[in-house]
Amino acid sequence: MDASDSPERPDPARPDRGRPLPMAPSTPEHAAEPDADEDRFDLLRRREFLGLVGAGFAGLALPECSLHRPAEPIVPYLEQPEELVPGVAVPYASTCGACPAECGVLVTCRDGRPIKMEGNPEHPLSRGGLCARGQASVLDLYDSGRRKGPASGGEETTWAEVDAAVRRDLVAAARAGRQIAILSGTVTSPTLSAAIGELQRVFPTTRHYVYDPLSVSAILDAHERTHGRRVLPWYRLERARAIVGIDADFLGAWLSPVELAAARALGRRGEDTDVPAAWHGQIEARMSVTGANADQRIAAAPSTHLAIVLTLIEEIALIRSRDPDAVLPPAPADVPDLPGVRAMARRLAEAPGRSLLVCGSRDPDVQLAVNVCNELLDAYGATLDLTRPSLQLQGSDAAVDELIAAAADGRVGAVIVLGNVNPLRDHPRAAELAAALDEVDLTVSLSGRRDETSERADVVCPDHHPLEAWGDAHPHVGVYSVFQPVLAPLGDTRAAVESLLAWAGREVSAWEVQRDVWREVLFARQERHISFDAFWDEAVHDGVLALESEELAAPRWRRPEPLAARPTAAALADGELEVDPYASVALGDGRQASNPWLQELPDPITRASWGNVASVAPATAAALGLVEGRVVELSVGGATMRLPAHVQPGMAKGVVAVALGHGRRGMSEVAANYPTVKMFGIERELLDGADVTPLLAVDRVRVRLTDAIEPLAKVQRYDYQTEPFTGKTRPWARSTTSGALAAASAPAEHGEADHAEADHGGDHGEADHGEAAAGGHGGGHATLWPGHRYDGHRWGLAIDLGACTGCSACVIACQAENNVPVVGKAEVRKSRDMHWLRIDRYYDGAEDAPVENPDVVFQPMLCQHCDNAPCETVCPVLATVHSSEGLNVQVYNRCVGTRYCANNCPYKVRRFNWFDYAHDDLVQNLVLNPDVAVRTRGVMEKCSLCTQRISAGKSRARTEGREPLDGEIEPACAQTCPTEAIVFGDLNDPKSRVAQAASRGRAYHVLDELGVQPSIAYLGRVRNRADEPHEEERS
Amino acid sequence: MSAPVVSTLRQPLTSEPKSCHQVSDEILAPIERGPTALWWAGLAVSCTALLIGSVAVTHQIWTGIGTWGLNKSVGWAWDITNFVFWVGIGHAGTLISAVLLLFRQRWRTGVNRSAEAMTIFAVMCAGIFPLIHMGRPWLAFWMAPYPNMRGPLWVNFRSPLLWDAFAVSTYFTVSAVFWYVGLIPDLALARDRAVGGSWKKKLYGLASLGWNGSARTWSRYEKVCLLLAGLATPLVFSVHTIVSFDFATSVVPGWHSTIFPPYFVCGAIFSGMAMVLTLMIIARRVLRFESYITLGHIGAMCKMTLMTSCVVSLAYMTEWFTAWYGGNPNEWFVVVNRALGPYRGFFWLMVFCNMLVPQLFWFEKVRRCLPAVFVLAILVNVGMWLERFVIIVTSLHRDYLPSSWAEYSPTWVEIATFIGSFGLFFTGFFLFARFLPFIAQSEVKGVIRYARAPSGGGHAR
Repeated sequence: MDASDSPERPDPARPDRGRPLPMAPSTPEHAAEPDADEDRFDLLRRREFLGLVGAGFAGLALPECSLHRPAEPIVPYLEQPEELVPGVAVPYASTCGACPAECGVLVTCRDGRPIKMEGNPEHPLSRGGLCARGQASVLDLYDSGRRKGPASGGEETTWAEVDAAVRRDLVAAARAGRQIAILSGTVTSPTLSAAIGELQRVFPTTRHYVYDPLSVSAILDAHERTHGRRVLPWYRLERARAIVGIDADFLGAWLSPVELAAARALGRRGEDTDVPAAWHGQIEARMSVTGANADQRIAAAPSTHLAIVLTLIEEIALIRSRDPDAVLPPAPADVPDLPGVRAMARRLAEAPGRSLLVCGSRDPDVQLAVNVCNELLDAYGATLDLTRPSLQLQGSDAAVDELIAAAADGRVGAVIVLGNVNPLRDHPRAAELAAALDEVDLTVSLSGRRDETSERADVVCPDHHPLEAWGDAHPHVGVYSVFQPVLAPLGDTRAAVESLLAWAGREVSAWEVQRDVWREVLFARQERHISFDAFWDEAVHDGVLALESEELAAPRWRRPEPLAARPTAAALADGELEVDPYASVALGDGRQASNPWLQELPDPITRASWGNVASVAPATAAALGLVEGRVVELSVGGATMRLPAHVQPGMAKGVVAVALGHGRRGMSEVAANYPTVKMFGIERELLDGADVTPLLAVDRVRVRLTDAIEPLAKVQRYDYQTEPFTGKTRPWARSTTSGALAAASAPAEHGEADHAEADHGGDHGEADHGEAAAGGHGGGHATLWPGHRYDGHRWGLAIDLGACTGCSACVIACQAENNVPVVGKAEVRKSRDMHWLRIDRYYDGAEDAPVENPDVVFQPMLCQHCDNAPCETVCPVLATVHSSEGLNVQVYNRCVGTRYCANNCPYKVRRFNWFDYAHDDLVQNLVLNPDVAVRTRGVMEKCSLCTQRISAGKSRARTEGREPLDGEIEPACAQTCPTEAIVFGDLNDPKSRVAQAASRGRAYHVLDELGVQPSIAYLGRVRNRADEPHEEERS
Repeated sequence: MSAPVVSTLRQPLTSEPKSCHQVSDEILAPIERGPTALWWAGLAVSCTALLIGSVAVTHQIWTGIGTWGLNKSVGWAWDITNFVFWVGIGHAGTLISAVLLLFRQRWRTGVNRSAEAMTIFAVMCAGIFPLIHMGRPWLAFWMAPYPNMRGPLWVNFRSPLLWDAFAVSTYFTVSAVFWYVGLIPDLALARDRAVGGSWKKKLYGLASLGWNGSARTWSRYEKVCLLLAGLATPLVFSVHTIVSFDFATSVVPGWHSTIFPPYFVCGAIFSGMAMVLTLMIIARRVLRFESYITLGHIGAMCKMTLMTSCVVSLAYMTEWFTAWYGGNPNEWFVVVNRALGPYRGFFWLMVFCNMLVPQLFWFEKVRRCLPAVFVLAILVNVGMWLERFVIIVTSLHRDYLPSSWAEYSPTWVEIATFIGSFGLFFTGFFLFARFLPFIAQSEVKGVIRYARAPSGGGHAR
């Protein structure tokens, strides 16, 4: 692990981190508790009753108004459990189970229940970041649609009966010589692998089929051809000076976005310069988060990607004086060169050994060509590490095909589907698989969710949620991490390891198995600890174990067989489009589709929430006569999908892009906090979207327009910083190019109007921000108000738009930390989303003059905590006031809800509780953060800069008799940001990171001219590109 | 009241010569003759409207403001539009009763009572909206700076919304007192004419506060009226000035404008005059008061409408000019967006109703044609409602950050609430017409000889 690459990141959590929980490993007896739901309902009723009685008594006994003990006997802990201090949050290190990336997390527990997940700063890959899906996975734990216990034939049953039945069938299958198929996604867990191995030992006919819903099988296969080993390289983006991404949304949802975004941000961070140290080009069909962040972007249909890579090879080989014919045939002559591709090749070739191609294509030929290209760039061994490769995705696209073939032949006696996949849903051949499963005697699902596979399975043996279970992960060679249970299972569920071993005839707990595996496999490989218990305790405490010495031998490059010539693809028929099914930032492969936070999370690009859309380029939309919201029918083979259209600037023409993971109708109702109906009905809409998984298997679809219009639930309805009618620009999410920056700083050209846009690097910032950092006031603005005095701290944020990728992790982190309600699709459509922190996305160009391939800029927007806050002066009841530390605080109790403050907020960051947002799902309510009030209807709310975390940090510092350290206090958004784009701190401390960032040349305040003096500084984005946006493409 | 001799060249204030007894008979006739079928019908309609509004408001208070069409960008729309609309309507009543009293415009006697009643009911309607637009209206008393035991909790004297609360409540109080004081001699007349022992006699007797008609009583009455008029006059200007501060002191482009106070006051009088016209044209016909509320009255009010329309038009143009000349791109965008954006229809209808339509009042023929005046007055009312809507919604829906731009459209609850406010207004007005003297008969008696020969045989025209 390259420790030098990771910056010093303060780690306040470590000293307080919980040691391994003294929790009994989950055993069947232990898990068989009375129905937890029932209990909670009882509790509520009892509380309501007590409340009413209490109110009555309080009325009677008003003169001596004091707190009363409840009438019923309450039993305190006889012995206080170690570490469990009521009201004190304890972080436990664990691993995120939301996706195969397996990032390190710290789970914050309050009074025995996990309420928040945060990135583990010590994790060598995720480096303290956590994505939106990871942040939201704590809510999955409290999904009341989860399975509560084992089921057989749709009936609830007991573990003993299930085990007996399963074992009987497995024995029968094995005796008959029929296969016992285990179907799963990639399993990196050594313990689970050991359990599968045990099952294989007991039942020799067992076979493990591994596929991944979001597959990188083509990369693995290509490396088999070029390196003789089926391996997924470790993309060392932090070492790269030039990156070209092809169809890989590695900042959004591809492979391991937190790790890759953090690494890319590290590589781009310049020392004292505003120009990024690395360059990033992106070639893709749709507009992805990654493309939006690229310095240069080319929109190209998927069918052209092979030709593009071949062009890159040709150009790079030319520059590097290598012979491309030695490795591959040249690009087919009939494919026209896309403008800009050769320029990208030049940038790659300029940095041999420090550049790479990252490609997400599912086409093995494309991946083979990419490997050749990377070899030409000397990327292997430098920016592509095959000695410590990634193990996160190891599945093969052929696996399910093989299983279907075997099952259809009647060679399979039993199928056991692990919980990390949902093949009847997330595989394009789901229908065929379902038919093949009819030939199988026994289908067992280990899914804890009520998904399509578990509904179809004969027996369901639900696995725990990752927060309830012991487990381990091995995401990269040399990196092991631990899943630590932070609470007893909520239902009568059982770890997959235990289930598999039970069927193999071993009744042991997962904890014991895991310790055994770690003792045998890992303890021997380390030298720090003599005792296994000490080794184990440290691993569990840290959550991650990095074994630097563990690495594979570097495979040698082998010249691959030349690509077979491809028949020229037929031209697109009328009404036919190329299709680009993609994993969205919010839902990924769809395993968290029942998570209301993620459903309501707007897509960073389309800004639509609740359901997926069919995106097409403006030109294509015009050709088809499509407008936004018009429902289109995509048909392929027998399947038809209906979903609303979205016109997406920057997309390749002739392509329709659709997000996977949606359309789970009728499975489990998504518990949004819908407005409570009290008198007349209120508009409500349930989970929406179309399942487009079948499109993964095809290249093109037929598109038919219907008459229906379905307005999208978009949180942003205007996409440009250019006004309609006047054409004036409102440059409040600023960006420039390195070329323009250089030109502006050159003295001769300084006054030129052409470079006015770049001036935020020069004249604008300095005076204001030097002063902002010093805590001074009124310098640039005449004001009637006396300034605020901040004798102690003055909290502020600096947000680097250059580092922000728009990944939206902060949005969910904020939602989880601050109990922000989910309002449902109908309310989002009415522009009533409640997010305290939103990420505005702007395209360049204008509504009436769209740019074909626009630059995109993201701007996280939250309460700016203005010194001269317009909201504060207008509130008639002083419900929003200024704190002595520069925060604009909202007093929910005092608010009467005139909404004047929201009207007067120039940033429109205040959110009003239009209704009582129901908290009827009592299980889901367990995720609420007790440090933050749940707001009632009729009050205004907004970002508090996580005032509860500031208080906690100050109080921790005070008990230790010191001042809070810079970086010790972090609001939820800054904590989770994978790229550290958000920096929080004390603006009164000139040495603090935030003050230094705010005094940089490209720092500015949004709407500075209003004189409201915000405490949030933004750093303009610099695109690492010669000059004008599309110049290189033209040349 | 002594009537100074006025040249017979002037227009008499009643269209026919009247004796005092005749005035008493005719003005009290609606009270004494009992309700007509038309009155019952009118009351039924307005009560239905009130009921619809009550259901809507109950639903809204019980369920939440979300039953309205507001969103994260547009925090005020029909609620505050209606508030400003109704407060504005009220202004004409006070103007007629107080300002014209001070300016000794004696023609006011024919319309001042009903115009003031209109003020009272309009301000009641207006007052409802700031109350129900709150997220938690049951805590509305927190807007009052009352001593409390909640520590240092106090109201924010910097907030224009608080000034509003003071301004509107003061206005309502003074208007109600002024109106009531003016009613006393008329109530006494109703008492004196009622059959002895009837409930009418008792009620009017109670309400007339023992009026005895002595010279001293009259003298004090007139002094009180004059003093109250002096008190009410500044309110005509202050209330709407303060209402305009809600917008003018904000940072919202399209609101933040120093021209708002005079612009709003004129707009208020403009809309109020139109409303008085609307009501009087019907009332004089239905209540057979044609000889008291004459074409002269209508004409005078048309002229005031025309004058205020011109001022309002000037204010519009000043606003547009300033937005352009001031060079503030946000301000200019608001103006352009009003004219070309999603709400352009409302904007152009407003320009038509408020700037162009009243120009017809330049023609005497139009001023004397009652159906025309009626239609024009309604159009002005529509235009003035639209003006407030345009100011509030088009400024908010596209303010600074384009990412937050959003559109607003009302729900049935808001529409029903608006209908309900008309229900409240007309219910009040119908009850007033039925139970209280519609015209200030004591004052009319003072002007029946105005511009007529002392013999009493003068001719109107």
